Amino acid sequence: MNHSNEQEVLDRIRPTQRIAASNSFRERVMKAIVEQNAQEGLRSIWRWRSWPRWVLVGCAGALLLLLLPMLPTGKVAPKSPGMALLAQSVQAMSNVQTVHIIGRIRTLPGDNFELVGAEYDFVPIEIWREYTNPPRWRVEKPGRVVVMNGQSALLYISSINSAMTGSPEAGFVKWLRPMLDPPSILENELAAARQGAAQSAVSESNGVTTVALRRQAQGNFANDWARNKSIPESDHTAVYRFDSGSKRLEGVQIVVSLGGTGVVVAEFTDFRYNEAFPQSLYTVQLPADVNWMTDSAAKPALVSLNGPKEAAAYFFDALAREDWDSVLQVSPGTRVQSVIKQVYGGLQVISIGEPFQSGLYPGYFVPYQVRLRNGETKTWKLAVRNDNPVHRWMVDGGY
Amino acid sequence: MVAATTVQIESWPQTIDDFDRLVAATQDELVHFAFYRLGNQADAEDAVQDVYVQAFRDRTKRRRVTEVRPYLFRMVRNRCTDILRARSRKSRETAGVAIHGGDPLSTMVAHEQARELARLLDQIPEREAEVIRLRAWSELSFADVAVAVGAALPTVKSRFRYGIEKLRRLLQLEGGTPNEPFE
Repeated sequence: MNHSNEQEVLDRIRPTQRIAASNSFRERVMKAIVEQNAQEGLRSIWRWRSWPRWVLVGCAGALLLLLLPMLPTGKVAPKSPGMALLAQSVQAMSNVQTVHIIGRIRTLPGDNFELVGAEYDFVPIEIWREYTNPPRWRVEKPGRVVVMNGQSALLYISSINSAMTGSPEAGFVKWLRPMLDPPSILENELAAARQGAAQSAVSESNGVTTVALRRQAQGNFANDWARNKSIPESDHTAVYRFDSGSKRLEGVQIVVSLGGTGVVVAEFTDFRYNEAFPQSLYTVQLPADVNWMTDSAAKPALVSLNGPKEAAAYFFDALAREDWDSVLQVSPGTRVQSVIKQVYGGLQVISIGEPFQSGLYPGYFVPYQVRLRNGETKTWKLAVRNDNPVHRWMVDGGY
Repeated sequence: MVAATTVQIESWPQTIDDFDRLVAATQDELVHFAFYRLGNQADAEDAVQDVYVQAFRDRTKRRRVTEVRPYLFRMVRNRCTDILRARSRKSRETAGVAIHGGDPLSTMVAHEQARELARLLDQIPEREAEVIRLRAWSELSFADVAVAVGAALPTVKSRFRYGIEKLRRLLQLEGGTPNEPFE
C-alpha cells in the first residue's frame, strides 16, 4: 500500500472534531488529587501517633474543607501561590484541635451577631472552637453569648435577660458561623469565587500569604433598607492572612465598600491554636428569672393574622393597650421585659406603612411612626416574618 | 482538525504543583482520546481523572519513568478498556452528554463519529487497532506509541501497517474512497 492510500485511510479514521476537557475538569481532578494526598497524610499520622481515629478523620475532613477550594480555577488566581498554600497547609493544619479567635466588630452591644454598620463603634468578640466529635464552640460579645455543647445551642442575651435553646445548627450566630470553623471559611469564599460571585487574589510578601475576596452585596435591593446592615448584604472584601511559615490562618479582616471608601467592619487578629479549653466554656450560668424565648410554633395561637402589616398593627395595638399577653402572641418570649413595658407601653400609633422586603431578610419590614409615652416620636421599620413551621407572623425586631 | 499540542514532560511529577501543571498540559489530548474510545465526554473525563489520581498515588513508584506523556496514554488506554469491558457486561451505553463547548450539531457529529470509528476499529485485531488509535487520534510518534502499548518500535510499526491495510480493505468493501485494487 502506498503512502497516499495510507493517508486516505488515516483521514477516514481520524476524528474531525477536537474534544477538549470541560472548564471544570482540571479543578475536579486537582480536588481528587488533593483528597488523595490528604488521605495519605492521614494514614501517616495514624501510623505515627496513636490518636483516636475519629480525631484524625475529623481533622482530615476539616482540612479538606479548608484546602480544596484553594485549587486554582478560572476565577481564583493566581494559581501557583494558591496551590503551594494548599499543599503546605494540609500538613500545617493537621494537628489543629482547638482554635481561639479574638477580634472586634462594628455593631451594637447586645444586638444580634448579624448586625454590622460602619457607623457603629467596635465591640470585642471572641470565638472558641473545639474539634471534638461532636464539635463544641462558644461565641461571645458584650451582651450576648452563644454556647454549643455538642448536643444543643444556647443563646443568652444579658441585656434583656432572655435565653433560647436550639439545635447545634440554630442560627444564633448568623454570618459568624463560618468563623466557627476556620477550615471552611475559604471553602465558602472560594466557592463563591468559582461561581463568579466573587473576585479573588492571592499574594505573598514578608512571610504572609494573603487571600482577598471581593463580593457584591447579596439579596433583593429593590428597597435598599437592608443594604450594608450585614456583611453579606454589603459590597465587601474579605482578606484572609496565612502565616507563610506555619501556613495557618492568622488573620481575617472584612472591609465594606461605602461610596468608594473602604470601612473595616470586622477583624479577627488573634488566632490561638490548640489552647486547652475548660469544660465550663460550654455552659452559661443563667439567672433564675431568665426569660425563656420559645419557638413560635410551640406557642398556642390565639389570634390569626393575615400578613406583615396586620401583624405590625396587632403588635403596636397590644403595646398601646399594654396587653402583654397579646404582645407575646406576636413576639418571642414567655414574658415581656420590663424595659419594653416602660418604653413602649401606652404608645400612640401615628402611621403604619406598606411592608416591603429587602436584602436577605426572609420576612418583611413594616415602616411605622409611633409616639412614645415620654413624648418622643419614633420612626423606624418593624421586622416581621412567618418563616416558622406554622407560618405564624412574628415580630422579629425593629423596635 | 486542530492539531494537538505536543507536550514534553521528562520526569514523573512528584508534587501537587507538578501535577497541576501536568493536568493543564495534557488534559485535552487525553480527554480527546478517551472520548473517541468511550463515546461520551462524561465517561472520558471520569476515565482521565481516574488516571491522574492513580498517577499521583503511584508517583513514587513511577519516579524513574521518563516518557510521561505516552505513559499517561497507556494508562488512559487501559482505563478505557476496563470501562468498555464493564459496559459490555451491562449495556453498551455511549450516548448522550454534550461535548464541551459544542453546539447540538457538533455534539451529534462527534458522537456519531465516535460510534463509526469504534465500529471500524472493532473489526481489526485489537493490538493493531490500539496502535492506530494512538497514532491517528492523538498523533503520537511511533516511539511514543511503543511506550504506550508496551511493545518494541518495529512491532508497533508493523502492527500499524497491517492494521491500516485491513482498514483500507474494509473501507473499500463498504464503498469508501481507498480504491487500490483488492489484493
